Amino acid sequence: MVASIYPFFAWCERTWLCKEITVHESIFPALETIHLFGLVLLLGTILILSLRLLGLLMPRQPTPNLARALGRYTALGLAIMLPSGVLMFVATAVRCYSNTSFWVKMCFLATALVFHFSYFKKALRLPDSQNSRLRGRLAAFGALFLWFGVGASGRSIGFFG
Amino acid sequence: MMSVMEVCRLLDRSAIGTDIRESSLLFPIIEGIHVLALSLSVGLILITDLRLMGVVLRNRATSEIWSQFSPWMMSGFGVMFLTGALLFWSHALSAYHSTAFRMKLLLLILSGLNAAVYHFTIYRKMGQWDTSPIPPIQARLAGWTSLILWAGVITMGRIMAYTF
Repeated sequence: MVASIYPFFAWCERTWLCKEITVHESIFPALETIHLFGLVLLLGTILILSLRLLGLLMPRQPTPNLARALGRYTALGLAIMLPSGVLMFVATAVRCYSNTSFWVKMCFLATALVFHFSYFKKALRLPDSQNSRLRGRLAAFGALFLWFGVGASGRSIGFFG
Repeated sequence: MMSVMEVCRLLDRSAIGTDIRESSLLFPIIEGIHVLALSLSVGLILITDLRLMGVVLRNRATSEIWSQFSPWMMSGFGVMFLTGALLFWSHALSAYHSTAFRMKLLLLILSGLNAAVYHFTIYRKMGQWDTSPIPPIQARLAGWTSLILWAGVITMGRIMAYTF
């Protein structure tokens, strides 16, 4: 299945975009740094909201209020991470194709995004009185596991195959 | 009296430094923890900075955000310091010669100074502005300064890895 999409990866590295990124050696480190700024926003706010769902942070602040205040920073983090990640991918597509960590990261990412925009957001919207303890815990631990899974497998792209 | 460089060389050549540097698993794991703990350390300080700037959670007292966030944030910085020290240990000599690493240390010191200045000035009058949606200019400036310095720390941290 995966082999049939290999031509796409090879094509990515033939695009002018790939050539632009690889020809200037400071662009890739800059993209990595921007990707890290996004990580601070995304993982930082996911962590805060998960701790709130677990009742470990700002217990007097209703969860939906905190989620409204911080939600835009999660979105901003995602809006920074996705384009910078796509650009780094385009520049190294063929290496990504044969990199197990890359595929693990993509699986984590797809699951994290689905979980985030369904279960996690729903748990954040509900007033604390209507959120069962179990739902809050599932949402928090699920989000932490999935997003930190994205981060850990993402970091290992550069270290392992 | 040993020079700083000699101390760095000693650390670099020590058994622990060599083990971390040459282990195919140890270094990536410690580095991975260092990167992911950014969320707990800088991620939380970012929100407290934004509160100081009067940008986020304006309906909550600044002191409340701080007292709620700081235990988590401090444990995050504890993890950063510990993993960072081990990473330094394994590459002490390269770090010594790295301009990016020196810049990172300088920015960390400036960040500490910024926090100290805040603490000894406008923080003393917090009773007057704790619940204001938009804190006074000195507090907002401290928030902006902290934000910019931490962005610099992350940038230098990322760049220094390229010089090893």
